[in-house]
Amino acid sequence: MKLFSPEQPEPGRIARRRATFFSGAFALTALATWFMADLLWREGGLDGIEWAILVLFVILFSQVAIGFMTAVLGYYVINRGGDTRRITNTIDWDNEKVDLATTAIVMPVFNEDVSRVFEGLRVIYRSVEETGQLAHFDFFILSDSNKPNQWIQEEVAWVELCKQVKGFGRIFYRKRRQQINKKAGNVADFLRRWGKKYRYMVVLDADSLMTGEALVKLVRMMERNPRTGIIQTAPRLVNGETLYARIMSFANRLYSPIFLSGLNYWQGPDGNYWGHNAIIRVQPFIDHCALPDLPGSEPFGGRILSHDFVEAALMRKAGWHVWLAYDLEGSYEEGPPTLIDSAKRDRRWSQGNMQHTWLLTARGFRPANRFHLFMGVMGYVSSPLWLLFLILSTIHVFNRLREPLAGERLMGESLFFGYPLAIPQAFTLFVFTLLLLFLPKILGVLATAQTPAESRRFGGVGRMALSALGETMVSALLAPIAMLFNTKFVVFTLMGQGVSWVTQNRGATDGTDWREAILTHGEQTLFGIVWGVSAFILLPAFFWWLSPVLVGLVFAIPISIALSKASYGDAAKRLGLFLTPEEVMEPELLRKLRRNLAECYQHPQPLDTLRADYGLMQAVVDPYVNAVHVSLLRQRRPSEESRDYFAQLRQRLLHDGPVKLSSKEKMALLLDAESMIWLHEELWQRPSSALADWWRLAVRQYNVLTAAPITALYR
Amino acid sequence: MQTDLDSATAALLASFRPRTGTMDAWNAAYVRVEDYLRAHRIHNRLHQSRLIQAILERAARRHEATPAFEPTTLAAEEAAAMMDEWFSELLGEKNLPHERIAVAGRVALLLADGPQKWPYAFLDLKNIPAEFARTMQESSIQAGPDLAVSSMVPREIDLGLISEAAGETLERIEKWPIVRTLLLWTVFVATLMGIFYMTR
Repeated sequence: MKLFSPEQPEPGRIARRRATFFSGAFALTALATWFMADLLWREGGLDGIEWAILVLFVILFSQVAIGFMTAVLGYYVINRGGDTRRITNTIDWDNEKVDLATTAIVMPVFNEDVSRVFEGLRVIYRSVEETGQLAHFDFFILSDSNKPNQWIQEEVAWVELCKQVKGFGRIFYRKRRQQINKKAGNVADFLRRWGKKYRYMVVLDADSLMTGEALVKLVRMMERNPRTGIIQTAPRLVNGETLYARIMSFANRLYSPIFLSGLNYWQGPDGNYWGHNAIIRVQPFIDHCALPDLPGSEPFGGRILSHDFVEAALMRKAGWHVWLAYDLEGSYEEGPPTLIDSAKRDRRWSQGNMQHTWLLTARGFRPANRFHLFMGVMGYVSSPLWLLFLILSTIHVFNRLREPLAGERLMGESLFFGYPLAIPQAFTLFVFTLLLLFLPKILGVLATAQTPAESRRFGGVGRMALSALGETMVSALLAPIAMLFNTKFVVFTLMGQGVSWVTQNRGATDGTDWREAILTHGEQTLFGIVWGVSAFILLPAFFWWLSPVLVGLVFAIPISIALSKASYGDAAKRLGLFLTPEEVMEPELLRKLRRNLAECYQHPQPLDTLRADYGLMQAVVDPYVNAVHVSLLRQRRPSEESRDYFAQLRQRLLHDGPVKLSSKEKMALLLDAESMIWLHEELWQRPSSALADWWRLAVRQYNVLTAAPITALYR
Repeated sequence: MQTDLDSATAALLASFRPRTGTMDAWNAAYVRVEDYLRAHRIHNRLHQSRLIQAILERAARRHEATPAFEPTTLAAEEAAAMMDEWFSELLGEKNLPHERIAVAGRVALLLADGPQKWPYAFLDLKNIPAEFARTMQESSIQAGPDLAVSSMVPREIDLGLISEAAGETLERIEKWPIVRTLLLWTVFVATLMGIFYMTR
């Protein structure tokens, strides 16, 4: 295949591709709108409610049409043997050698599972080492963790990791005292301190994984294409254990190739940035991507929460290309394990995406970036619109029923093999919509089934098709639940309210417990029952139309519980269902991570009494952890007032135990080097009678735990 | 032969007996020093017991002069003092204040895996293995590379006419909470009226 050079502009080609994409979406929406308008028009013109239904229909159907066109174009590209205009086709990988440049791998973390973070980093580090190119890479853990336990564990794990891989001077740890601007602020803080030292940075999430080969390739592509500012990879969802996570991974792996090919087809160098598993050219990012606050205050204004789309738009505005390396292997991430976890993530994302409304008309943004921002907004706003559409449709049916001979008019009759069959007038539109919704999934299966080797990576054609059918059914059940969740998030965001979540029962060993599920999904179930009963009383035929939506809502609680079970996920795996290529042939990187984590989690846990403040205990009791912690703190000259404050805090901590101190007070002590040195010495010098029971237990218990010659909980 | 052994045992047993303080207090001091050494990963029992005795001997001497102090406190102080002397000698840093030498020494000991690799070396000033001393002196942690500061100042995004106007309106509304509440009520009433109209 001839190599592609993005440096030579091809405005005609990209314009033709976009014309095809948007014209297709427009034509499909127009056709469906025609059907819908015709349906609504039959009683002689449109009244107010019918106009509202039609407008909502156009908005919602256009989303379906855009998804459909993306998939169809992707399928076309794959069948043609792949797109020549892709960033991975800018280098002849077998015969060319492109030099590397200094690159920082940055991983912002915030109260994450420390074992997962550092074991992930370990396998990435080792993988880069195996490429022989380690000298070009530095690694940064950028911590915003604000829980004492997390912080201390991170420090300990960092030292242990560096010791074990001989990574001192190459793996760095930075803990911010103030978590300003969350993740974007954390990355900006890194850039302000060390950005100049690196030509590129690869941003990873705490659950991201990338192979050394993928990282090296990314740097080479950046070096080859000097006008490229960001290359985003398409991370594969991996390591799912629950049924929900496995189904999501399967869908991601099976359908994403056609969607991503289609996306690259029309967006070209106007790609998007998804916040992680991407390489960024540092200097232009520093120059153009320091984000200002939006007008007003939260929830709509203030700090930009979803920074990635905006950063991509700003890079494009400044003339830098943003590409999607959709076919680059070796980029992974993990998804939420349960439906409730997924909803919690959506809650965070919805507010950030809705903020993007401000930027839709920003001067200088490229149309493609406006479109990305708009689709991000619609990703959440479409849910309340869909709900409104369904409610208005119910009201419309209610209105029509009160008219004479209503029942007969709502059901037309056709002959089927000579038998009269009641077919609703909306049947054609219904079939058309189903086609647009489900054809992309069928195309996804076909694109894989065409190559036997590919289909074997999903367990074979039969199992793959069966799994796709199962996934389609599950996604149909989940769609109305997501609709109500997102509607709630959008409304609460508009009202400036937070959404409270039920505290998870940590004792539950296999997924969501009934209490959490009932309290989280109860209102959805109630809504579904009331709506279903009302629809049935109004018109049974309408009830059956609504039934696909109602089933998901009414059974939201058991669905959520069943999907959260790792045992069901495992059973499905044993049956060969929802298999992904990463499960059938586990990549070395994932295998190592799984093995290392299993070893980590076997490590004995501290006593329940000590567990809540184990980090603080280590920092005070353990001579090594104390020394490492103090040496990482900035030395300050405290004022007289703060000296008094810390003196009384320290006394309280030793005399009353950590349970009597707030989390903020514990963090304050941990941030004060003088206090930490004093606490360590004083604890070991005081007679037991002058210490709180908690500390007496800690001193005795800690030595039992550290019988093995390791400092960290993690190896 | 038998006589030699007996006299060695007798000498060992007679070598150190605290002359002040209660047995319970010295037992508590013993446990504390033992715990502290184990916290330093000194798992070599033989070496550990010798160190405990040496530390308690120093503490006992001080206790005779200052019996008001608890043996536990004195023993912990002596342990810290012995470590300071030892770290200063090892790292070649004789003028550092106690806090700094203690922290630097412990970090170096951790990174060098001292207690595991040289199990008899801890606090032994007379026999310091050369490789151990070199490893200790080379051990240090670097949390970040040298700073290379850049300026990354937020730059305003020109939101365009519509968003600017909307932003200004929003900011104005935010300044008057009564207007905001009225607006919300208006939306609520309009929605009710809309539903009423549509169901007529």
